[in-house]
Amino acid sequence: MVLPSGGLGAAPPETEHMTRFAYWHETVLAGLLVALLVTAGWLEPAFVRPGTQLELSTHAWELALLALPMTAVIITGGIDLSVGSVMALSAVVLGLTFEAHVPVWIGAVLAVLTGLVAGLLNGVFVARVKVHPLIVTLATLSAYRGVAEGISLARPISGFPDGFAVLGRGSLLGVPVPGLIFAVAAVVFGFLLARTVSGRAVYAIGHNETACRFSGIPVDRIKLMLYSVSGLMAGLAAVLFVARRNTAKADIGTGMELDVITAVVLGGTSIFGGHGRIPGTLLGVLLIHETREFVSWRWNNDELIFVVTGVLLIASVLIHSLFTARGRE
Amino acid sequence: MTKQLQTWLSRRETGVALILACTMAGAGLANPAFLSAGNLRDMLVQCVPGIIVGCGLTLVIVTGEIDISVGSLMGLLAAAIGLLTSSQHAGLPVAAGVALTLLLGALVGLVNGVLVTVGRVPSIIVTLGMLTALRGATELLMGGTWITALPDGLRFLGTGSVLGIRVSLWTAAAAVAVTACLVRYTPLGRRIYAVGSNPQAARLAGLSPNRVRLFAFAFTGFLVGVATVVSVPQMSVIESGVGIGLELFVVTAVVVGGTSISGGRGTVWGTLLGVLLLGSVRTVLIFLNLGERATYWERAIQGGFILAAVLLDHVTRRRRAACAATA
Repeated sequence: MVLPSGGLGAAPPETEHMTRFAYWHETVLAGLLVALLVTAGWLEPAFVRPGTQLELSTHAWELALLALPMTAVIITGGIDLSVGSVMALSAVVLGLTFEAHVPVWIGAVLAVLTGLVAGLLNGVFVARVKVHPLIVTLATLSAYRGVAEGISLARPISGFPDGFAVLGRGSLLGVPVPGLIFAVAAVVFGFLLARTVSGRAVYAIGHNETACRFSGIPVDRIKLMLYSVSGLMAGLAAVLFVARRNTAKADIGTGMELDVITAVVLGGTSIFGGHGRIPGTLLGVLLIHETREFVSWRWNNDELIFVVTGVLLIASVLIHSLFTARGRE
Repeated sequence: MTKQLQTWLSRRETGVALILACTMAGAGLANPAFLSAGNLRDMLVQCVPGIIVGCGLTLVIVTGEIDISVGSLMGLLAAAIGLLTSSQHAGLPVAAGVALTLLLGALVGLVNGVLVTVGRVPSIIVTLGMLTALRGATELLMGGTWITALPDGLRFLGTGSVLGIRVSLWTAAAAVAVTACLVRYTPLGRRIYAVGSNPQAARLAGLSPNRVRLFAFAFTGFLVGVATVVSVPQMSVIESGVGIGLELFVVTAVVVGGTSISGGRGTVWGTLLGVLLLGSVRTVLIFLNLGERATYWERAIQGGFILAAVLLDHVTRRRRAACAATA
């Protein structure tokens, strides 16, 4: 089928991009990050001290953990809006099992499994029932939080043992425990995406799903797995969050999906699928985290953070789309 | 004749209407007070923002886009109308305040549209960003206080009646009628469906998909303004939390009402029924005397409704495909 493309040649800019320097986006992000930190250090010297940064980093681990599977999901051309609600559901499961005198570690495992099942259900609807992921996860965004509110009656559960708090607040050789978990997860995701056959298949699905099906790539199985992993990581993030805050409540992770998607998209992953890398996502997470922490440090104003995050999300995609000649599908 | 009946029965609107009727009848049997005129009116009044915004969102979704910023926009517009008309703030005449609010709504909708069409940013990203940014802007504007001293003229829009029927209900009826006529009888309405079913073909046929999309977004913004003006003054104060979660309620209603999320298919009537169904579920939960516990499950039921709707869609599509294969 030949269509007049209106001057938007699809292939040439891509290859040109490849033959040049492949890490433009990451370089720009790193530049922005440095500029931000230099400005921040100039305005608020206390903000950039290692001790402060280490303390502030506790706010970022859940976001960072969720950004990894989200990168893969968005590369396939999908999206997962339910991650914040899955966190709430997992946290409530952890809280309720703890109240029922189940050992907290078993509760934590159950919470992670809850996340896995919740993600699996998303995956079944996306891959088997073939519903648009936006609708599926918008529905489960509501449903999972509703179930979390329903079974916990929206009350907070606290009083977890001290040993459990280590998972959220403790550190090993000066590195926070959640940071270690994240580092391992980031290496695993980075390796899987960039260096394995399944990883390449994820990109291929994002580029052309139909061609993938004809090439014998197990598209549905890969999607099912990605959404399940996304749920699993949300469960893990919930456990870390509860361990850090010592409270499980059904409003945990509200609006988390927005932060995660902003970080991933800012990191250079195309919302249309097919493009994106873990290093870019890491920089995106860092940039969002530092911007928000700095705004809250200097102006102590949560409302301003909302405005900044929203504008950052739109601006990052806008700039990306203005500078690449790739047309809308 | 039977064929006509069959197509009529297989329409989503019929299915939703049947479920709605069953829900109402069941609730009425369990608690006759549910079907009292007063309660039905309250239920309808509660549905007004959903109905009015739903009309606009149906058009946006039919063009193949989405707008999840409507709830935050409503919060911003509520703050705007309060700050413009309250005697403790700008104290403008009500008519001027309403006009400016509607204009601001249309303007924000237009900005969404421009970012989607000219900026080529996917609508989910634009409106997700707006969802957060507008909510933050609202809270900055309000500074953590409530807006009080709303003028009587404004309160009338929320609580007054004309010919024994609430102003907000008249407005909702007008919004549905205007949108339905627009869709059915104007070239623009047909273009919305053309762009939604096949943007390439629409472009080749000489239509401008971008202009149609721009209109859909601006119209939705305008309707959010209308919904704000008739629903917010029902209360005597305005707080910054107005409209939280509205986007989810309306998108659910539109999808339950049979509008296809990939564009090209959907009706205003389906959306109206979808809103009424979801709205009645909310009231039924309160009326069944399940106690306070029941209200906690509302969101779970809303989410369950979308999943049920898409599953139903999946099953009927399959059956239709099977029928086509055997025929």
